[in-house]
Amino acid sequence: MDRRSPHQGEGNGLSGSRIPAMPRTAIDRADARFGWMMAGPALATLFLVILFPVFWALFTSVHDYTLINPNFDSYTGAGNFRRALSDPEFRHSLGLTAFFVAAVVMLEFLLGFTVALMLNTVERLKPVYYAILLCPLLMNPVVVGLIWRMFLHPSLGIVNYLLGLVGIAPVNWLGSTKVALWTIVMVDIWHQVSFMVVLLLAGLSALPREPYEAARVDGANALQSFWHITLPLMLPVIVVTLLIRLIFAVRTYDLIYIMTRGGPGVATDLVSYFIYRTAFVSLNIGEASAMAIVLMAIVMALTAFLYRYMRSLT
Amino acid sequence: MAAITLDQVDKIYPNGVHAVRAVSLDVRDGEFMILLGPSGCGKSTTLRLIAGLESVSRGTISIGGRTVNDVDPADRDIAIVFQNYALYPHMTVAQNLAFGLKLRRIGRDEIARRIGAIAETLGIGELLGRKPRELSGGQRQRVALGRALVRQPKAFLLDEPLSNLDAKLRASMRTELIKLHRQLGNTIVHVTHDQVEAMTMGERICIMRDGVVVQTGPPMAVYREPVDTFVAGFLASPPMNLLEGRLEPAPGGGLAAGLDGVSLRLPEDQAELVHRHAGQAVIIGLRPEDFHLAPGRGQPVDAHAVATEVLGPEVILVAALGQPGNPEIMIRCPRGFSAAPGERISFHYDRREIHLFDVTTRRALPRPRA
Repeated sequence: MDRRSPHQGEGNGLSGSRIPAMPRTAIDRADARFGWMMAGPALATLFLVILFPVFWALFTSVHDYTLINPNFDSYTGAGNFRRALSDPEFRHSLGLTAFFVAAVVMLEFLLGFTVALMLNTVERLKPVYYAILLCPLLMNPVVVGLIWRMFLHPSLGIVNYLLGLVGIAPVNWLGSTKVALWTIVMVDIWHQVSFMVVLLLAGLSALPREPYEAARVDGANALQSFWHITLPLMLPVIVVTLLIRLIFAVRTYDLIYIMTRGGPGVATDLVSYFIYRTAFVSLNIGEASAMAIVLMAIVMALTAFLYRYMRSLT
Repeated sequence: MAAITLDQVDKIYPNGVHAVRAVSLDVRDGEFMILLGPSGCGKSTTLRLIAGLESVSRGTISIGGRTVNDVDPADRDIAIVFQNYALYPHMTVAQNLAFGLKLRRIGRDEIARRIGAIAETLGIGELLGRKPRELSGGQRQRVALGRALVRQPKAFLLDEPLSNLDAKLRASMRTELIKLHRQLGNTIVHVTHDQVEAMTMGERICIMRDGVVVQTGPPMAVYREPVDTFVAGFLASPPMNLLEGRLEPAPGGGLAAGLDGVSLRLPEDQAELVHRHAGQAVIIGLRPEDFHLAPGRGQPVDAHAVATEVLGPEVILVAALGQPGNPEIMIRCPRGFSAAPGERISFHYDRREIHLFDVTTRRALPRPRA
């Protein structure tokens, strides 16, 4: 798009052709000044709370900065990055996180989209369903973690009690290396699926009604309507929902901290928690910063790729 | 065979709105039928009932002799063009056209052949690769029409397809639709609230109001003999002037339609038909185009000018009929006519064009057949 001030190219019937840049008028300059004035405070805040910490982390990541010896005296270059990437524990937690994110996002999407499609046709009691759905979303993750830790307690928890009533042997939900990660996945779904439902439902209810009627007359059944109309029209909403959920899932920390502390062993040692441990248990801020930068790079690359890929489909 | 028959059709929505009441309508095979009425009169609902997008509450609808009340829209073999076109926004024009054919499992070659033919007919060949958002209103309208045509259905249902176009484009699309109908000969039901569209396009008009069919007939018949004041006041622009008056004995015998200061003598045959209303209040309907400046074309009436609207080919005079201060009426005057406010102008009213309506029922009183 070529940049033009709003009053150019209007009413001269030449909107398709290129118009030479006109000198900026006093009104244009006043508009620009006012614009900067309005955006200024927000930009300053953003810089202070986002850009500055990011650069600080970048700066820290190339120094040997520990909480035992907190100074920027020794520049290490890519040393922290090399050490982090060759650390099998870090690589393990990256892989674990990738698996966790994939599982959580896919399952929540499938479940959320199904529920949203069902709710979209509901006429009565819609506010009630909304209220119920929003309950988990309104809860603090720490509270969610604590509640589920109690529910899932191997001997005192209600889940195993209920399973016992129907003759299923108690499961060691958080204590077994095989089950623990799936338990976290399940709790995360319980907590976050309504986010998907609400966003997708908003997207669904904003879809135009007419193409569906046209498709009905054209001879499409419900499944064909879904496949040929709903899905393509929802794609932009789906992309955004998946992206947001993906980014949130990568940073999952509180659930792990409350429920397993990365255990048993390193079975649920997601990367956010691992970075936290490196920084505040091992006190190695420099290496933790390097890990955080790596994580950020991965997430950004993933986001850019997914966004481009999905956009190319529409 | 694609006659469409509605027999005592009712539509009552779950919220209790009675949108269509006992509508009976016979659309003959190959006929261009117009459903005309103000917004909210149930004409679009009637169309959606025919399409099968709404279910019938009572009565029967049949297409081509087959009762279709419980037939899925897809199996009624009709096509509908929506007011806002309802194109599939994510598909190209070619995909939009092909969608219905693909669902009907028509072969790839046949689809390509049909799309090619339709694109040529409608002049949208160079648009086939574009998405709807890249098209202008008129182009979208053509594509929507093409999507209906390409299926080769028994009948077309058009739901105000021209209302989103600008005046010039609307006029040219009107002509094109008429030509298309002549060429294809399919049954068309066209919904509109625009009486110009109705008059110019339809072989027959069905005028609806509050979910009820008020009058059905060829455009000129409806124009000449409106069954009530609603039709009289709806058709044509400016519409028929409706004035409250009285049927009084005319000097020298017979009856006259009397207004304050004006007395229009009825033709003898008309007077005979309405003589039992003599002395009663009636609504008198006078068409703006039946006032003439030249003498010899009726009986003299005076009017006092209030304002003039110059339209170019003609001038609409707003005037008080009879005395100054009387209810205002519209009179269609030839190009070049002018009048100062308050000026007295003598007209001659064609007395075979006096319409009378009952004050309470607002139904037309009988008139001699032309």
